[in-house]
Amino acid sequence: MALRATPVPDNAPNKITVKELDFFYGDFHALTDITVDIKEKAVTAFIGPSGCGKSTFLRCFNRMNDLIPGARAEGLVSLDGQDIFETGVDPVDLRRRIGMIFQQPNPFPMSIYDNVAFGPRLQGVSKKAELDEIVQHSLERANLWKEVKDILGRGGLTLSGGQQQRLCIARVLAVEPEVMLMDEPCSAIDPTSVQKIEDLMAELKDRITIIIVTHNMQQAARVSDFTAFFLQEVAGDPAILVEYDRTSNLFTSPKDRRTEDYITGRFG
Amino acid sequence: MREAFRQELKDLKAEVVSIGKVVTDRTRDAVTSLVTGDVDLAETVVAGDEEIDRRTLAVEEHSLEVIATQFPVARDLRLLHSLTYIALHLERMADLAVNIARAAKRTAGRRGPQTLYDLIQAQGNLVYRVLDATCEALETRDVELARKLQDLDEPIDHLYKQFFRELARLHDEEDIEWASSMVLASRYLERIADNAVDIGERIAYLVTGEFEALHSPDEETA
Repeated sequence: MALRATPVPDNAPNKITVKELDFFYGDFHALTDITVDIKEKAVTAFIGPSGCGKSTFLRCFNRMNDLIPGARAEGLVSLDGQDIFETGVDPVDLRRRIGMIFQQPNPFPMSIYDNVAFGPRLQGVSKKAELDEIVQHSLERANLWKEVKDILGRGGLTLSGGQQQRLCIARVLAVEPEVMLMDEPCSAIDPTSVQKIEDLMAELKDRITIIIVTHNMQQAARVSDFTAFFLQEVAGDPAILVEYDRTSNLFTSPKDRRTEDYITGRFG
Repeated sequence: MREAFRQELKDLKAEVVSIGKVVTDRTRDAVTSLVTGDVDLAETVVAGDEEIDRRTLAVEEHSLEVIATQFPVARDLRLLHSLTYIALHLERMADLAVNIARAAKRTAGRRGPQTLYDLIQAQGNLVYRVLDATCEALETRDVELARKLQDLDEPIDHLYKQFFRELARLHDEEDIEWASSMVLASRYLERIADNAVDIGERIAYLVTGEFEALHSPDEETA
């Protein structure tokens, strides 16, 4: 994979700003006092032991947690300066702007073509020529086109796991998102596919902002420009953001002893 | 698995400290052989270089192997990287000690002015102090001591310059080959200490994670 040739400049704009965010599942206080700026057109990785709230935090950005009864957030999360919790914000539109990839590839039980055309059709694109172009372009950007161009009518679920994950990425790309959230996108796929998806992330960040939750620290170190380390210090207490820095700094000279202990495998 | 990895790091560090102590002994033997004209002692320094080369290369190979298989990060990565770097410096320092021993062999049997022998011995004593402190700073991760190496190095540079002044007072009838061998030996000692200062900076990095301003030898001694 290509090494990070040009580091994201310090003055890169913030795509997402989080200020003093607390998150609750009913009585359970999951996250506390999270403040972080997510840089535009960069890859940001969230790492930390299981149960440290990194997926919960990721799901705040496109308000996926709204779907969980009793879940609530306090504090500010803004996308391009716009508070996403404001009443006027349409979660469906937000989820178009902020797409999501899950651990288990989840193509719809329909053809490869229809999977990718699904979002654009919902948005009202109906001309076949236009849809054809979006489908091809999205599959090309997801580095899947060459493998599927002759079998577009075949079911998405007939593909291999790694191909399915790239199909899901193409499906997200088809609606031109600004941000892509990836929740453990490589945990369930083979190493060759992992490599393809990591390469893909490096290509996609030219145009979109990527946030990835990963248990694989080497992956975080390989693919991300920035890394945030989350930790629940005491069972039952809310998790905190311990350290957030450029990935190159965090993996060579972390400033916090807890980060150091975690990434060097001394606990967790 | 992780325990074995940690033990490997400990062993590697102990090996580098041990090489450092051998280099200190070799430097001491080289200076003694020069000052006393002991050719046999000089021979043992020359012959011992192969062992240092072999051991420093083994440190480098072992570090690479651990990096490739264990994916170390943070202080573990800094330690491995620094140990390789330090081993390379030690290997060079051992080469310089060999050069001093060769000067001892060249000059054996001839005697020059005692002041110059005294100067070399005094310079040597200061260099041993720097080398002992370097090994201790690495062994105990003592950043303050590592930073102090530069101060300890200063009088060594002064003695090197004084050596030149003393040399200028020599008369035409003095043995020029002897004199140039002695100047070179003084220069090698000064370079050994400079390498130790570089190691000190590396020790500070491996403990703090910060690259500090690198020491640059002044032009006259570069």
